[in-house]
Amino acid sequence: MAESAQEPVIRIEGLRKSFGSHEVLKNIDFEIMPGEVVTIIGASGSGKSTLLRCLNLLETPDAGHVWFRGEDLAAQHVNVNRLREKIGMVFQGFNLFNNMNVLDNCTLAPVTLKKASKAEAEAEAMRHLEAVGLAEFAKASVTSLSGGQKQRVAIARALCMKPDLMLFDEPTSALDPEIVGEVLSVMRNLADEGMTMAVVTHEMDFAKNVSDKVVFMDQGVIAEMGEPNRLFTNPEHPRTREFLSRYLEDTQGASATA
Amino acid sequence: MGIAQGDPAGSSRSGNRLTRFVAADHRYVFLGTSAIALVGMWLSSQPRTEMSFLAGVYALEVVMYYLLFAWVVVSGVALLNKLIKWRDYASTSPFVRPGARKAERIASYVVVGITAVLFVDRVVMGFIAVAQAAALSETNPQGFLPGMVYMLFAGKDIFIKGIATTVQLAVFGTVIAFFLALLLVFLRLQQIDRPDNDLVRFLKVVGCGFAKFYSAVVRGTPMMVQSLLIYFAGFAALRGTGMSTTEISGIWSTFVAGLVTISLNSTAYMMEVLRGGIEAVDGGQAEAARSLGLSQWQAMTKVVFPQGIKNAVPALSNELVVNIKDSSVLSVIGVFDLMFSTTTVAGIYYRQLEVYVIATICYLILTMIASKLLSMLAKRLDAPAKGPVLSTSDVAVTMGVTDSVRPAGANASHNNKQER
Repeated sequence: MAESAQEPVIRIEGLRKSFGSHEVLKNIDFEIMPGEVVTIIGASGSGKSTLLRCLNLLETPDAGHVWFRGEDLAAQHVNVNRLREKIGMVFQGFNLFNNMNVLDNCTLAPVTLKKASKAEAEAEAMRHLEAVGLAEFAKASVTSLSGGQKQRVAIARALCMKPDLMLFDEPTSALDPEIVGEVLSVMRNLADEGMTMAVVTHEMDFAKNVSDKVVFMDQGVIAEMGEPNRLFTNPEHPRTREFLSRYLEDTQGASATA
Repeated sequence: MGIAQGDPAGSSRSGNRLTRFVAADHRYVFLGTSAIALVGMWLSSQPRTEMSFLAGVYALEVVMYYLLFAWVVVSGVALLNKLIKWRDYASTSPFVRPGARKAERIASYVVVGITAVLFVDRVVMGFIAVAQAAALSETNPQGFLPGMVYMLFAGKDIFIKGIATTVQLAVFGTVIAFFLALLLVFLRLQQIDRPDNDLVRFLKVVGCGFAKFYSAVVRGTPMMVQSLLIYFAGFAALRGTGMSTTEISGIWSTFVAGLVTISLNSTAYMMEVLRGGIEAVDGGQAEAARSLGLSQWQAMTKVVFPQGIKNAVPALSNELVVNIKDSSVLSVIGVFDLMFSTTTVAGIYYRQLEVYVIATICYLILTMIASKLLSMLAKRLDAPAKGPVLSTSDVAVTMGVTDSVRPAGANASHNNKQER
């Protein structure tokens, strides 16, 4: 899907981030092309969530550049709010606004930021809620929803801002295994519609089958990056091989039965 | 009914002797009602007051007394019977037959009724008699209770004025303090944001510093000192404009100074309460709002504050109760509150203990009313949000996703059921 002539949606150069004396990100470089789905995998503590949160400045990088729409997000005094409007984010813990109903969750940002009138925003929100299968819950309190429903509302909420890029920070990690499927299928639809996505996940099936590029992170650096088919069948880096070993065996077992 | 059912179950289930004794004891009917009967007999032996309505029907009271006495005797026999033959009491005793049980239960109601009548006759009517005599008395009676009632009646205008002032100070002070605290907590929670220019950054630092300083000073000094300081500072400031003392007293009355004191004092405490409530809001809420492009101010006002204030409502309402009590120190600058009126009455009659008991009871009643009203308010604010909790459709959606490509399709059946 990614054409070589296009400009990347977001480009990261020399990104560094430390918490205290612990360096979480060590000189990260990579870019995401329009329409590309990039999954970021790796062990816990390898820095993948921090990397994702640096993309919309929820974590402030210590050094490096985050180029988005021709502006460096990491520069001082850049208007992050305006750039964040075009970067949707979905969190592990849903983070729906508990003081509002489902529809108001979706319309808050477009109306507050004067992107649309109340009626337009509601029509747009209903469209997205319908796409995630929750139109009938528009007036429901968010606290009455199940985890999977909350996460789908969170996706709809982010889409209401018509983002150029969607970030998913372990969107299914707080869900029980039975519900993971409903969220992943929404994400898959989104990818099919051509949305540019960066997904931190432990769902290896999703990484393998949906993404265009897989980034394997280990101890604050990108250990390996490439097409999912190559990475999942023939990983070069020993750490990647180790991390994926159990999974590789699984797929071989699965393909043997299939 | 309860007795009959409880008995066999209780004795068969537990092997414990004590438990069996208690369970088989007609749920203490004999023990409890004989104690009540003894109280009734004691009340009957007390002298009558002039308001006693049983004084005219002496024969009735004699009958009541002997009914109680008879019940005590019956209970004594029954309990003795039980103590002697506790092992097979449940099967042999004449007191456990269904007919006897019914009679015992009716008798126990009669015993309680008689004692209640005697209580009203001796205690309630006795108190009314004392109160009436004291209220109509020309001079302050000697006794504690008569003196208290006399001074309450004689000084009722003073007390009413004091109570009204206390309520006004507490209610207005709390409401004003709430709005000031909202402003102050907003300053307190300011954080430097990336798009801020240097002026905004400077103002934020100054605002946050001011809020911290204010909170430290107000919470670190006694309110009595604050009230004196504010009262005389206001006086001095107005004198600086060249006004006369009478003119100043007209504007800067003790009530106004007291209200300013209580508002400013309560602001600091309420700010800390609000801060606690707001900081208890999950950080993800603000993060989610920021990730959508909302500024720090928008995220705070639309998302974090509404939830934080709701968290803080129980503790905030407690501040009203605190203010009712703490307004008592304002009497040092001469605010005519309940405390001031109490000392005034005490000064008039040279009787201290009685009037302070009155003040204690008044404050207690005020705070109890306030906390009751506030808990009702808090309950209303916490009313669960309306909305469908459609657990069945939840299952339908979850199951539908696994075998259909688009999750929207999974809801089709449910949508049809609704008006679509």
